[in-house]
Order: sequence, then structure tokens, then C-alpha cells
Amino acid sequence: MGEMRNLGEDLARIKSAKVIKSFCYTCPWQCPTEVFVRDGQVVYHKGNPESPNNIGSRCAKGMASWWLTRDPDRLKFPMRRTNPKGEPGKFERISWDQAFTYIAEKLQAIAEKWGPEAVAYTCHHDPNTVFFRHLLGDLYGTPNNYTHTSGCEQDRRAACLTLFGHPFPMHDFANSRYVILWGMNMLGANQGLWESRALLEAKKKGCKLVVVDPNFTETAQKADEWIPIQPGTDGAMALAMCRVIIDDSLYDREFVEKYCDGFSGFRDHLREKDYTPEWAAPICGVSATTIARLAREFAKTKPAMSAIFKGSGYYTNGADAGRACYILDAITGQVDKPGNLHLKDWAPLAAPVNIPEEAKRRPQKPPLHVAMGYPLAPDLPNARLPDAVIHGKPYPVKALFVQSTNPVMSDPNTDLMKEMFRHLELGVAIELFMSETAIECDIVLPETSFYEHAEIRQGLWLGAEVVLCQPAIPPLGEAKPLYDIVQGIAGKMGWGQHFPYKKWEDWGELVMKDIPMSVEELKKKGFWANAIRYNRVPEGLATPSGKVQIHSQAYADAGFCPYPIYTERSVIPDAEYPLQLTHSKISMHCNVLTQNNPLLMEICGENWAEINSSDASKYGIVDDAYIIVESPKDKIRIKAKVVEGLVPGCISVRHGHGFGHWAMGSVAKGKGAHSNNLMDNFTNPITGANCYNECKVRIRMA
Amino acid sequence: MQHGFYFDHNVCVKCHACEIACKTWNEVEVGPRWREVVKIETGTFPNVRAMNVSMACMHCGDAPCQKACPVTAISKRAEDGIVLVDQNKCIGCGFCTWACPFNAPQLSATAGKMEKCNFCQSPGKERPLDMPRACEEVCPTGAIKSGPMSLLATLGRSNSATRLAGRGAEGLPGLMLDAHERFGPGE
Repeated sequence: MGEMRNLGEDLARIKSAKVIKSFCYTCPWQCPTEVFVRDGQVVYHKGNPESPNNIGSRCAKGMASWWLTRDPDRLKFPMRRTNPKGEPGKFERISWDQAFTYIAEKLQAIAEKWGPEAVAYTCHHDPNTVFFRHLLGDLYGTPNNYTHTSGCEQDRRAACLTLFGHPFPMHDFANSRYVILWGMNMLGANQGLWESRALLEAKKKGCKLVVVDPNFTETAQKADEWIPIQPGTDGAMALAMCRVIIDDSLYDREFVEKYCDGFSGFRDHLREKDYTPEWAAPICGVSATTIARLAREFAKTKPAMSAIFKGSGYYTNGADAGRACYILDAITGQVDKPGNLHLKDWAPLAAPVNIPEEAKRRPQKPPLHVAMGYPLAPDLPNARLPDAVIHGKPYPVKALFVQSTNPVMSDPNTDLMKEMFRHLELGVAIELFMSETAIECDIVLPETSFYEHAEIRQGLWLGAEVVLCQPAIPPLGEAKPLYDIVQGIAGKMGWGQHFPYKKWEDWGELVMKDIPMSVEELKKKGFWANAIRYNRVPEGLATPSGKVQIHSQAYADAGFCPYPIYTERSVIPDAEYPLQLTHSKISMHCNVLTQNNPLLMEICGENWAEINSSDASKYGIVDDAYIIVESPKDKIRIKAKVVEGLVPGCISVRHGHGFGHWAMGSVAKGKGAHSNNLMDNFTNPITGANCYNECKVRIRMA
Repeated sequence: MQHGFYFDHNVCVKCHACEIACKTWNEVEVGPRWREVVKIETGTFPNVRAMNVSMACMHCGDAPCQKACPVTAISKRAEDGIVLVDQNKCIGCGFCTWACPFNAPQLSATAGKMEKCNFCQSPGKERPLDMPRACEEVCPTGAIKSGPMSLLATLGRSNSATRLAGRGAEGLPGLMLDAHERFGPGE
């Protein structure tokens, strides 16, 4: 039907609008889009049909994101706190010039008194943070430029870096014939839309999908087998499966000999530890027969994939659980071939500015994660940041920049996070809304939304890819793009010459210099994608041995076992608090950013706690009623949903840290319950990840 | 030629993008939901199953809403069978909302009039019928298709594409539900 026509252009004509190619930054998967603009307003938008990321489609969160362009609760001008810290911030409007001056003076004073290492920067995953990295990292000289991974897939990232030397592999579901997902709700999170579609299409062609998860998620719903495992025990089951595959000689002998480092040691390790299906069965609540059968099926069916994302990492034993799940791929030779975990190429994006070597200042202290004792952490162990800010350990942190991230809301132990902000000499929030973190800061700067600024970044698809977001409409109020904010602060610090761009295309040309596409072409097309490439393992991986690192010397050097081991998680329910608190996501919301959107809130206006019907009877819980969930630390009031699809002995709070906003905006405020203060700030000892599920609770009717 | 929707629950992941796209294209206010996705869960732990269904007005052959309307505000377009409501005639009595078995007609709290899926035929925003509807265009997994019913019947496993809620051959709703393949984990 109408294959010669351009649907975007035809639809835009109906809306009397102009089409601008861009991308959506509601979540970090950045689907390329076509934004329809009329009279300076976004009147519709759709997926870019040429892009392999989303093939013209969108998710609900992205589709509803146009609301950002007219949300009356957006920040419109820079503000400075007028009341003392320790109470919710009151703010006065200031000019950008005043804001830049204030920040620059504070930064200079902190550098003189404490050293530049006392400044830390955390963000979501905005590529424009690269500008801040050049300002604070290269010129100012702090090594502490971080993102948000410890609240996300920190354990996965650590496992992938350790084993494959790759921070963020993709999933080539389209060619898979057997997929095991551990605590990964691919279809519920629905972020990489091409991955969701490929998984379902593979299923139609006969791929078997096994979902190992305490929760009957949207992904488990589509699975051939749902394995309702006990929470925090994925590592035990994966290690037992490795043992079966090795004992039955079902591993890929050639692959492990040629391309893996430490296979024989791992085999001996499994035997010494006596990791067997019989050992794992009572731990995992999965029969030994099932564990052995799944191991054999997995090893015999190729191409196959065993993958994790966040779920297995929400416990203090999550790092090794992640490694074990990926070693299943390694010993069966299922790495980076069609249908496997895919060690994608990155596009050769260059720096947007040229900072001369002589202008750079070398940090005098190691980065915080190393100084904190987490050398293997791929990102800042966020839950340990209060130690540095409040107690000066391992060294003092006096200034914190939070950009498009909301640690008071998203990190465990809300009280402690709030307390941390009160000890800062300078807290700067760069945000769209007066977030729960912004309200604890000294300076709040309004950033433009992705409809109002430019970004050029890596695309999250199988091939090397560049995606572009470009300004479709003018900034709301006085909001500024990050690159202009950095330019303003740099100017006040005497480094203006290093950020010489007059318009975004100036730095865009520099970023794109090694990509075979001009900025002008990129603006017309919206993305650049290279062909998919497979089989990088024989070329050598970015690991110490160049092979898949089953044995990790880095782990041994840091005082951990070089092979994955199984340890029990830290918090186990008891008579007083008999239920394990777990968390899962909701497809209509992304992190802490989407709850002020009335379109999404109409569909899902509050979060809830799921509880198995047997536990509901035990504790007198009625479906759809409000209950009190109480941990040793705090309690919340939340709606209960009595379900069958959850392991008894658990409760599952869906989107626990995204709801219950107390600052963000008029739509979000007070809706649902915020679960993060139920838990203490447990940190994965290896990766520094937040451990959201290390919490025991009791429940009763409200 | 009767037009309608085809829906494949096997690939619907209940992401609700169809609802938001519908609302955005047709500029529907918060309140009325022209399209709605629901999950139906069955079984007992650990043998649980679930099915997602995205539903809008099915533009029925013998539209009960049309019959129930006391002021003939609801009509069925001759050329494509699309059921439309004339907002100028509608008195907001709500009879249609009682007559429809699928809860398709929705009363707007602000206008006090009935509204529902009009197959993307909102005045000034009409999508020609050879284009995808907004819900269809946005769907990440291709679960929704629109078109003439004769064409939709050939999609998926055509021999097993069953029509939802049979109400006599003449009055069948315009929805093809591919319900052949079993869904979710087996028993």
C-alpha cells in the first residue's frame, strides 16, 4: 500500500506541519523520530521509518513525550536557593550571568581549598555531558565525571567488560533459536524496540524463550517457559547449568580452547565448589531436573543466548550472577555470532571541542570509585557517595552537579541521599523540572528538552550507528542546551576560548569528522548506520588476554575469586519481616522522568505492589486495596494487586522509585508510593551497584 | 467494503503506545480513551498465562450504538462501514455507552458529548484509508493492522483468524483476533 510515498511527509501535510528528523531521549535507547512542527509547536511525531532502531514505531513513553514541550511545570529560568539547607529549598529567579558567575566562583574556591577532585558530576546518559567532561575533567581537573549506571545495569556492564571487554552488548534475537533471559523484562521495558520486535519474530519462527524471574513479567508472559526462581539466586542456577554443560561435554571445545581464558580452571572450580543442579535446586526453588534439562537444551540448540539486564544485579551477589549467566554463552561458543549476544561496533565519534594538552590539568587523586575501594566498578557506586560528602571518606566531595538525574529519588535510602545534599558547598541541578534532588540544591538551571536542542550520539543498534537530535522548536522560557551552559561557566572561569562554537553545527562538524556523513546529510536523514558485523571474538577482544575472560585476574587482584561464586544475598526475610521486597518496571514509565505526563498518568497514574494470592490470604490482603509495606527502616502505603504470577514469599513493587514524587510537578506529586527509603544503601562489593532488592518487609491492610 | 482492525495478541506487549498515538493524532483530551489495552491473566501459580488485547471501536456491522441513539447522531459510512458520531447532533445522553458491549463510546467530561475511535477520520485530520491508522503506525511489534475486512482475513493464520464475539453473521464487529496460537508458558 503506497510503498512509493513518504508516510511522514503525507501525514505532516494533513497536520500542515514540517518534518524534522530527530531522536527521542525519553530513555537512553534514543529511537530516531520524525517530529512534526507547526508554528513553533510540536503537533505530532512518529518513528523514523528508515531507522533500524525502531522501524518507524514508538513506545508509549516516547510517543507521549511531546508533552515535555508544553508542560507548565517545566523550569523556565535559573534559580538560586534563598533559605538555609536542611529544609526544602526556596528559590529566587536569577539571570544566567549570575548563575554562571556564582558557579565559577564556587568552583574556584573549592579547587583552592579542597582540590578539584572535590567536585563530582553525575548525569543520566546525555551525550552532551561530554561538554561538562571537557570542562570539569580536562580543564578543571576532577576525575569524578560519572553517569547513573549504579542505579541501572552496573552488574551487567561489569560482567560484560570483564568477560568480553565490551560495556554494552546488544541482543541479536532475530537469529536466535534459544534465548534465556534472567531477570530481564525486555518486552515490559520495551526500550530497544527493534530488540522487542526481533525477539517476538524469532519466537514466531520457533525460537524457544525461557524467562527466569520471580515475577511473571510481560516477557515471561510470552515465554515458552517461565522459571519462577527465588529472588537473588540466579547465580546458583547459572553455575549449576554450567556444570551440567561441562560434565556432559556439551561445551564448545574448540571455542573454549581457542578463545576463552580460564576454562579448565573454571571446570575445576565448579567441581571443587560442588555446584550441581541438586545443590542449586533448593536454593533457587527450581527442580534439579529442570535445571539440568534447560542446561542441555541451551547447549544443544544453536544459535543461543543467555542474557541479563538489571534484575540479577539488584542483590549484593549480583556481579557474579551476571558473570555466570554470560559464561553460559562463552562455554557454548555463543558469543558475537548471529543469534548471540552481540559485541557491537561503536561509531568513531570525535570530541566536540579541542582542548590542547597543555591546558589540561591532571587529577591528583584517583577517581572516587577507585578510592572508595571499587576498582572494578564501571561507574560511581552512588550509594557510597554520602560517605564522601558527609564524612569525607575516602576524600571530601564538596560540590555535586546532577544533570538529568535525580539521585534523591532514584538511589536507595532517600533520607541519607537528602542528608548528603545538605553537606555540599555547591549543589547544582541541571534539569527539566524542580526534581526531588533539585529542591535540595543551591542552584537550579533549566535545561532544554530533546525537542529544543541538538545531540549527536551512539545509536543502540547492532551495527555502528550515529543518531541525531536537533532543535525542532525554540527553547522553553530561558532554558539552555547543556553545551551553552558549559560555554557560559567556562567563560566565567577564563576558559571560553576552548568552547568557541556559535551554533551547534560548529561542534557537530567536529564530532562527525570521522563519520562518512556530513552534518547537513545527518540533519536530513536523522541517523547514520553501518552494516552489521559478526564474529569479533577471533579478532581479539578488549580484555587482558584478548580472549573471553572466564578467569579474571582483575577480580583476584581486587581480592575476589577470579571465577564466579555463589554467595547468599545480604537480606533474608525472617519471622518479623517475612517477605522479600523486589522491584520490576512498568512499560508506560521511564525512570523518574515521565510521571508528570498526564497522557501516561491517565493509563498508569500510580504504582502498585504485587503479591501472590497465597500470601494475600495469609496476610489478609484484598486485591486493589491499599496496604502498608513496612521494612525495618520505613513504611509506605501502596495499592496491592493480588496475582498468581509471582513467587510466594516476595512482593514486587512495580516502578518503586519512579512514583510518590514530592517535588517534581503538579501531575506527578503525591501519586503512588516511593519505595527507596524502605531499603538501606547496600552496595555490590565488586561493582558498586545499588542493591534495590536487599530488603525484607511485612505487610498489612492500610 | 467494511473496514476494521486486525489484532495479533501474540506480539502485543501491552506497551500502550497505540493509546498514546491515537490520542496525539486525534487530539483527544485526557479522559476519554478511544483505544484501551487490557491484560487478561488466567491460571494459578506457577501455571500462569496472560493475554493482552488492544481494543477500540470495532465499527460493527449492526452497530448497537447507532440503534440506541435517540437523535440519529451515529451513522455508518456507506463506503467503508466506519461508524461516526456527529458531535453537533449528540445530546450526551449516554444510551450508546450502555448499548455497546465493548465500552467503545466514551463521554467527554468537558464537551458532554460522545466520542470514540473514528478510524482516524477526525475533521481536518482525516487519514486516507490507504495509510496506517495512528495506532497501527506506532505499534512497535506490528500487532495492529487496519484495512478492509476481506484483506485482514488473509493475515496471520487466515484459516484460524476468528472473529471476536460473534453476534450473527450480519452484525459481526470489525475486529479480527488472531487467537490460534496459544500464548504464554504452557501448562
